[in-house]
Amino acid sequence: MFQLIKSFSALKLSSNTIAKYCTYNLSYNPALLPVKKTHRKPRWVPVAKSKVFRIPKKPKLPEDEANEIRRLFNNYKNNVRSIRKYLYKKHCTIFEISSDPQEILKEFKEDLVKCHEINDKWNAEVKINREARLQKELDEELVLAEKKIEEQMLREEEMYAFTEELVRKQKEASISFITPENIDAIIDKALAEETDYNFAIYPNGEKIIGKKTRPTQETEKVVGAQ
Amino acid sequence: MLPPGSGLGVYTVQCPKVIRLLRKGCTNRPFYHIVVAHTRAHQSRPVIEQVGSFDPLPNQYNEKLVAFNFERIRFWIGNGADVSTPVKQLLGLAGFYPVHPTSYIRAWRAREKLEKEKAAAEAAIAESQATDIDKSENVS
Repeated sequence: MFQLIKSFSALKLSSNTIAKYCTYNLSYNPALLPVKKTHRKPRWVPVAKSKVFRIPKKPKLPEDEANEIRRLFNNYKNNVRSIRKYLYKKHCTIFEISSDPQEILKEFKEDLVKCHEINDKWNAEVKINREARLQKELDEELVLAEKKIEEQMLREEEMYAFTEELVRKQKEASISFITPENIDAIIDKALAEETDYNFAIYPNGEKIIGKKTRPTQETEKVVGAQ
Repeated sequence: MLPPGSGLGVYTVQCPKVIRLLRKGCTNRPFYHIVVAHTRAHQSRPVIEQVGSFDPLPNQYNEKLVAFNFERIRFWIGNGADVSTPVKQLLGLAGFYPVHPTSYIRAWRAREKLEKEKAAAEAAIAESQATDIDKSENVS
């Protein structure tokens, strides 16, 4: 009780509030029940001083009335006892449970058969659902695979076209390549056609050939001298 | 939240059970549930099961209404539940049990009282009539 109230103290609730609201909590906890209230004075409070020596008067009944009451009570008790015994034999749960092991085993087996039946039924239902689900999943996977194959084919085609283009360009470019066959001719040509790159260029494309370079043409020389 | 009729009390096999009245209602307005509870359990504890109700105040037709779930009462008595005296009286009047002796006692005492009052009233009337006759004789 103390620990539980302590745990509730984090919510700043008093024990009375907890008792008030937890009276009929469905998750029944005996520790959270209301306080046991008495409508009399507590047991440890002694008898009042004025009542200590009081002797309560015993009611005096006439003898015939007392006998009559006794007779009534005896009859009543007998009748009630017989009713109780009858109800006990009819309704008592002790008699419902057999202690014979063979019978218990038989009941258990019957129960097991019933359980198996229910289980088989459920399994059949689940099997239908499962097969439908698996079929659906397979169909979806097939559609997805076909789509993927199509995409792959498209990609391959694109790749093939790209490579073809590349090869074509390279072939075109390879006309001017230097090969062992034409290398001598090209060397001869390069030696014959000497090129001088020692010049500067204006933004408008005009070449400025310096003084120290070898002049090839007169005009160029004149322009570079200024 | 109101407790369900099935009760929330924890059923313990070894504890003795009792069918008794449980005071509900409020101040100056008693109302009783007839419940199955552990004999030693306090009134404020949850009961095992509610098996009926009893309204001790007479209604507009001068009736005190009582309801029983006899099926469950039979079951619980069959399983060894004790019955408290007030419930025994009610069951006796309902015809489930034999009529409780206290019901008879109360009845014959009330009858005696009534007869006494009636006799006293008659005696008073007779006396007053006698005095009237005496007076009239004296006057004449």
